[in-house]
Amino acid sequence: MRIGLFVTCLVDSMRPKIGFATLRLLKAAGCVVFVPESQTCCGQPGYNSGDSKTAKELALKFLSEFESFDYIVIPSGSCAGMIRVHYPALFEDEPELLDRFLNIAERTFELTDFLHRIVRLEKMPGTFRGRLTYHDSCSGLRELDVYKQPRALLARMPGVVLKEMVESTTCCGFGGTFSVKYGELSTRMSDNKCRHITETHAGAIAGGDLGCLLNIEGRLRRNGDHDTRVLHIAEILAGEED
Amino acid sequence: MRNASFDFKRQVTVKLADERLQQALSRLQSRFVEGRSAVISEIHDLQETRDAAAQIRDRVLNNLGHWLLEFEERATSRGAVVHWAETVEDANRIVAEIAALHNVKTAAKSKSMVSEECGLNEALEKAGVEVVETDLGEYILQKAHEAPSHIVAPVVHKNKEEISDLFEKVHGLPRKTGIAELCREAREVLRPAFLNADMGISGANFLIAETGSALIVTNEGNGRLVTTLPRVHVAITGIEKVVPTLEDLSTLLRLLPRSATGQSITNYVSLLTGKRGEGDPEGPEHFHIVLLDNGRSSLLGTPMQEMLRCIRCGACMNHCPVYQNIGGHAYGWVYPGPMGSILTPLLDGIEKAPDLPNASTLCGACAVVCPVKIPLPDLLRKLREKQLTLGIRPQRETALLKAWSWLALHPRAYALATKIAVRAMNLMGGSKGLLHRLPGASGWTDGRDFPAPEGKTFRELYKERS
Amino acid sequence: MNAREKILARISKARPDEAALRHHLETHPRGPEPLAFDDLKKRFAERAAKLSSDLIEADQLGLVPGLIAEYLKQRALPMKGVCWPALAHLPWRNSGLEIEARPAGNEDMVGITGAFCAIAETGTLLLLGGEKTPASVSLLPETHVAIVDPRRIVATMEDAWDLLRREFGAPPRTVNFISGPSRTADIEQTVTLGAHGPYRVLLVLTPL
Repeated sequence: MRIGLFVTCLVDSMRPKIGFATLRLLKAAGCVVFVPESQTCCGQPGYNSGDSKTAKELALKFLSEFESFDYIVIPSGSCAGMIRVHYPALFEDEPELLDRFLNIAERTFELTDFLHRIVRLEKMPGTFRGRLTYHDSCSGLRELDVYKQPRALLARMPGVVLKEMVESTTCCGFGGTFSVKYGELSTRMSDNKCRHITETHAGAIAGGDLGCLLNIEGRLRRNGDHDTRVLHIAEILAGEED
Repeated sequence: MRNASFDFKRQVTVKLADERLQQALSRLQSRFVEGRSAVISEIHDLQETRDAAAQIRDRVLNNLGHWLLEFEERATSRGAVVHWAETVEDANRIVAEIAALHNVKTAAKSKSMVSEECGLNEALEKAGVEVVETDLGEYILQKAHEAPSHIVAPVVHKNKEEISDLFEKVHGLPRKTGIAELCREAREVLRPAFLNADMGISGANFLIAETGSALIVTNEGNGRLVTTLPRVHVAITGIEKVVPTLEDLSTLLRLLPRSATGQSITNYVSLLTGKRGEGDPEGPEHFHIVLLDNGRSSLLGTPMQEMLRCIRCGACMNHCPVYQNIGGHAYGWVYPGPMGSILTPLLDGIEKAPDLPNASTLCGACAVVCPVKIPLPDLLRKLREKQLTLGIRPQRETALLKAWSWLALHPRAYALATKIAVRAMNLMGGSKGLLHRLPGASGWTDGRDFPAPEGKTFRELYKERS
Repeated sequence: MNAREKILARISKARPDEAALRHHLETHPRGPEPLAFDDLKKRFAERAAKLSSDLIEADQLGLVPGLIAEYLKQRALPMKGVCWPALAHLPWRNSGLEIEARPAGNEDMVGITGAFCAIAETGTLLLLGGEKTPASVSLLPETHVAIVDPRRIVATMEDAWDLLRREFGAPPRTVNFISGPSRTADIEQTVTLGAHGPYRVLLVLTPL
């Protein structure tokens, strides 16, 4: 199985180790993974700022880079949602391109969705001991129906104790550029999220989208919490070490 | 109603710091969010029912002229007078003329968001008609000279102590502190208003083309009183509210109260057809229906048409994490929450509400609960696109957007830029790996640290390792 | 052009499919409905209780005034009020009740009505206004008593419309669906019974 890894602009620049954790997971599942070097961003920041023109250009760029793979895997629900849901919507009026985008959409998966439903990974390469709580990022949850998948994978790790927080499906307040344009509001929303995380007394919070995790980590640290670990689900499933 | 949406950002600061409001909002969340979730599951084929409801609304909107004429014909044949208003000024003038025609001095009014849109009370007062709001929440707001902050629970922002103080002041009766006592006092004060009113004013949740009827859902019974006792009844509503048949209505009514207040049905659902007939011992002698356009027709046939499906349940705001944190007043016009962030710029002018379409994380919680499946996040995004096209975004923002899009489309330059940026930010992050300040991103760093990048990009490292 | 013509010009299609639209109106197809209820009366009673309505049953109509009198006495409520002219013939006096058959006024504390039908799905009454059935009787008094024939409990609102079309054709001026005592939750989202309408609703199930 030839897999194209779209690592996402955030993981590429901020947390390469999540990209490597994803590679280890895909290899453990027996996949052959390729990383197209020219990849940049899926176009979501532009799309959500009203710049559909650039979003379309980036969609075409993505198509040319990834169309040849059997599957495309992305360690982010929001970028995977962009490709699966919004790319086809952008090309609604261009039938030939629409077909190609619908086709690539069907082969594009958020990481945990892919591991759980497509390759059915039974044994996680990583080990993790301790209590953990999980934040459901909005796009993965509502656009791709990613809810059970990460939990099913975590349940296959003997050392993990999942402590659910209240309102795990409520937005953390990140929202891309929203977090800077409406900082106060965004901070209040992340503050609510952090309170729910703290109330679980879990030592770690995991999620599937780095944007949300940076937002949560940023608020936890500003609040003086330097202990709660903030991890991408890939880092837990794959183990953190190389 | 005057539009204060331009002030959104400043209002956010005020509302976030208002502790009483914050407490009130947490009540709303638990009552309405949990309430909805408890009864919506009574509908065994919820998704099918939502699909059917969306279809019903689309059938109307795709042939709105046809259905309104069907409605008008039947309503008229039953003795109702149908008026058409292009603007809020037209609507106000029409209602004032009706009042003058029937020599109306006092009017009792049940809740109507369309009348809030028009600022009808003010217009009638100017025309010498005394208007009494009779929905408990709206009555409280009328006495407090405030605007509603929620379309279903208008006074959600006030607690009972504030209402006790208000009633003591305006009624001049001994101060009541219990909620039931406050309700009883309002009932007793308002009863004469119903009995003495020359005219009753209501909204209409739906208009039924098949029968020419106006439909009103209420819990308090004031909707029934203002449409039964006074000798004139005026129902004012938007042109999009028509539905073809009573069966279509039934499907929508299965969803509306469940989505709105977590009730399987409201206490009263009143179908009102025509004026008092021969032999009727009661009911209004004159029944006027005012149909307001106010920008709605301009949305038909555009990508924003789906917004006109809205049946005003308020579920989108109840479930919106932005509304939940700031309440309705910050939005600055009649309709708050996600529906308001779309309707305000569309009906009252896109340049008047530059923040509203942007002040959302597009988290999608609203779209999931919308009973008529309005793709609210998509519509917000389309409005952002329109703002960009019209050039009403801040210059700095559009410049950054341009720079970003150029870089993202030029992989080599992008690689170089990210390479430099992550190294610089890594250094700034120090031993703790946290940036406390980030130039140009104070919105983030005023309330949060920014976790520093690792120092090299994934693609650099991937190349090094393979 | 006046406002009506201007609005219609903006919203009307050049060539609507009139036949299809008329067909929809004439056939008024139903949307998704709840699964069938095994026992309409039982379902109605359960849902009515959830709406805070009180409910009693009587084998025959003649017993109804006595049961209503007992209900009022137990709650120390006034033994006088109004009823629909359609119910004037019941032996109210024999049970110590002082009931006048007329529309209700502000001073009337008890209002006694029948019902056109009832709906099991939600525990709702359907009342039609008319010469012998004034709407004010179920609205102004603090206590509303409704006599409901259990054979006229239908499953859904859609069933009620069918019954209405069959027996009346077009709806009368007022068609009121009533689901329990009036209520408000405007203050602190706390449900309080008895807003502008009745504080309590007594349903008497009896064959009419």
